[in-house]
Amino acid sequence: MNTAINIENISKSFPGVLANDSVSFDITSGTIHAIVGENGAGKSTLMKILYGMQKPDNGILKINGDIAKFQSPKDAISAGIGMVHQHFMLADNLTVWENIVLGIDSSNLSKIKKSKYIPDITDLSKKYSLPIDVNLTIDDLGVGEKQRVEILKVLYRGANILILDEPTAVLVPQEVEELFENLKNLVSQGVTILFISHKLDEVMEIADRISVMRGGQHVGTVSKEKASKKILAEMMIGKDLPTPPSRETLISSENCLQLKDLNGVPSLGKIPFEDINLEIKKGEICGIAGVEGNGQRELSEAILGLYPVESGQIFLEDIEITKLSTRERRLTGISFIPEDRQSQGLVVESNLIENIILGKQSSNTYSSKFKNVLFKNASKNSKDVVDNYEVKTPNVQTLALALSGGNQQKFVVGREIDGKPTFLLASQPTRGVDIGAQALIWDKLKEARDMGLGVLLISADLDELLGLSDKLYVIYEGKLVKQLEPTEATPEQLGSYMTGLGI
Amino acid sequence: MSNFFNFIKDNKEKTFFIFILFWLLVIAQIETYSQLTTSGTFAATMRLAIPILLAGLGGIFSERSGVVNIGLEGMMIMGTWFGAWAAWLYGPWWGVAAGIFGGLIFGLIHAIATVSFQVDHIVSGVAINILAAGTARFFSVVAYANESQGGATQSPRISGEISSFSLPFLSGGTFLGNETIDLLRNLEDLNLFFISDISGLLGGLTRDISYLSFIALSLVPICMWVLWSTPFGLQLRSVGEFPVGSESLGINVYLMKYIGVTLSGAFSGLAGAYLVIESSGIYRENQTGGRGFIALASVIFGNWRPTGVLMGSGLFGYADALQLRSEESVHGLLLLISIVLLALSIYLLFNKKSRNGAISLLMAFGFGIWFLNSTSVPNEFVYFTPHITTLVVLSFASQRLRMPKSVGQPYKKGEGG
Repeated sequence: MNTAINIENISKSFPGVLANDSVSFDITSGTIHAIVGENGAGKSTLMKILYGMQKPDNGILKINGDIAKFQSPKDAISAGIGMVHQHFMLADNLTVWENIVLGIDSSNLSKIKKSKYIPDITDLSKKYSLPIDVNLTIDDLGVGEKQRVEILKVLYRGANILILDEPTAVLVPQEVEELFENLKNLVSQGVTILFISHKLDEVMEIADRISVMRGGQHVGTVSKEKASKKILAEMMIGKDLPTPPSRETLISSENCLQLKDLNGVPSLGKIPFEDINLEIKKGEICGIAGVEGNGQRELSEAILGLYPVESGQIFLEDIEITKLSTRERRLTGISFIPEDRQSQGLVVESNLIENIILGKQSSNTYSSKFKNVLFKNASKNSKDVVDNYEVKTPNVQTLALALSGGNQQKFVVGREIDGKPTFLLASQPTRGVDIGAQALIWDKLKEARDMGLGVLLISADLDELLGLSDKLYVIYEGKLVKQLEPTEATPEQLGSYMTGLGI
Repeated sequence: MSNFFNFIKDNKEKTFFIFILFWLLVIAQIETYSQLTTSGTFAATMRLAIPILLAGLGGIFSERSGVVNIGLEGMMIMGTWFGAWAAWLYGPWWGVAAGIFGGLIFGLIHAIATVSFQVDHIVSGVAINILAAGTARFFSVVAYANESQGGATQSPRISGEISSFSLPFLSGGTFLGNETIDLLRNLEDLNLFFISDISGLLGGLTRDISYLSFIALSLVPICMWVLWSTPFGLQLRSVGEFPVGSESLGINVYLMKYIGVTLSGAFSGLAGAYLVIESSGIYRENQTGGRGFIALASVIFGNWRPTGVLMGSGLFGYADALQLRSEESVHGLLLLISIVLLALSIYLLFNKKSRNGAISLLMAFGFGIWFLNSTSVPNEFVYFTPHITTLVVLSFASQRLRMPKSVGQPYKKGEGG
């Protein structure tokens, strides 16, 4: 077996962080090699170095035995390396074939060789069984198809080493299976695949060899036969893998939140959610599973009073709040963990003290009789949240943007659970955070639930939903299509309802 | 009959357009409003539309590469000044070249500010407009103050003009050195419904066309070709859509943006030069009169496409031509608006949109009463007819706009991944 890539003593530091610390390992050609590690373990930096987006401070990179010094992704591409980014690098308003050939021709004013490109791409997609209609615009494609375009794009450039950065993060289980089929197919035709992930199940399923990274260092490389989830997890975090918390709760009989026949106002000719009936008791976590864009966002905004409701009623503790403004709803005790902490959860240019006030600016805690802000309380509470939720920050005067994603999220979760809300709306509470933060957030949610908090959990992470929920619904095209028993349901089952198959 | 209704259902916009055109023709039959469809009006339309068309095409290049260009107006001002200056000294074609150069320099400034230094696009654009106005004034004081006819706010009259041609047989051009008949003129003089009006339109667009106008109009298909059929165009558009992705494919994002913005300056400069050389024959301060902004509006409502800009600028030119040539015919437009609103209200009421329908109906009656109780439109309104017509029609015509996804967002190299 030849070695496709030799990584020898690669180091890279950014101001204040040593992202890669003398990383060395080899990747055998024609195999699937997985790189696992928590967020911030240095996987992404290493991949960016491999793909020429960043230059290593020192160390040597060999591609097929030759020393490579990449100045830009262009060099990496010509050396046969292709990268499929976690966030798709596709221009939405361009067609599939335009996206695939983009950048191949030097920018000149001759006619694009469309009549040559299109058959070429079709052949390629047949050869690797990656079916796609090349004339569609990217806007019209589903997530799995977009990923296929990305893979075709790098293959079309003659790549024989593929880097896939968290490729399954955006896919539902069926799509993941399809992707794995495709990858195995590619490997059988001689392509080398570097698979970056933090999901150990997937890694165990697909990879031939697995390298583990932690804190910028390469902890070790094990072959699939010798690896187990437990071993990998211990290598990754130095302790055992956190399991979703168990459920031994006392669900009270008191109502927390009730939605009755809730319909959203149509936007762009589509009704975002339809006939939603939900009843959440105190001390209960109600999970909603669904592929993104099936009305979850609008539904959660409607509960908060941000999205207009066409008909139906919302009750909080048997009091109707349908007509209340968002501020009034907040004051009655609705808490909200938004799906996007950077744009909705935090003002990243502000410090933690100011951020703790967000959403509660008119409550008695932070607003005095004369309507001036009580910074003393804010300072105290932000310190409490930082301590209780293990937010890693030098102090509470630090700007939110200086925190890592996981710490930002822990802070948001802490802020929302703190101050005894009556109802918590948690939208993707652990998206994009490392397992350490994930475990903590799960624990805290469970703790709050045990204290009698009603929680609506909207998530795309099926393990999270199955592990935390006391009851579980699937949303598909704006309707709650199925109620499942979380103790019995499997991710496959959920996946098929989420894609509208099992209905 | 049912075929007819199905056609209307499937082609609402086209039907609406044909409906408006039909009533325009009908109104043009009234003696007072005959100017609505004469060849003279359409010839003026073309002259007035081309500066906006050119600046708009420039705007497309800039916006498609992801840079908002509110500085089109300023770049046009530089085009007028340099165009007039060089045309005055060396002749009209030199004026064209200098106008392009003047606009290009300001385009380049906008590119340096927005692309290299990540200045907010609107801030930089506004600065360009202010800077251009000041610069033109300063240059005028330096260059024209001591000339006869010249001064701090205007240049001496330029010498010479760009030659023009007419199509042979159709509009009386020469063919192999011989004069030919002017078929379209003859048809127009017959005063037949529809035929004469269409002849007026075609005649206006084919008689005495200056070579500069011809070049300007042919830039529309050229721009479409460049943007949609060449690797350069594909890369430019991808940069405006998703610069991070483009960079990951080895495209030089900065270069593309520089080219886009600088080209938009060159186009606006040409627009300014056209204004001086073809329309007024002289540089005057505030000559552009907000045409750069109208061009930007036509870029947006034209859905960032050359054909859309062509439509928007044509509309503006037409309304502008009307208000310049005959105030009475602007009065005729009131009747047209009233009829169109009436039709719209019927359509809305049939589709159970009672509130919007009622508003349209009220407005239709309002315009109708205004039309019947007056013989002319107040001058103030006449003057801004072109602006209001363009904006109203364009905003009705295009409900589904799809702007380049990253337009207006600053981009730093190496943000990829």
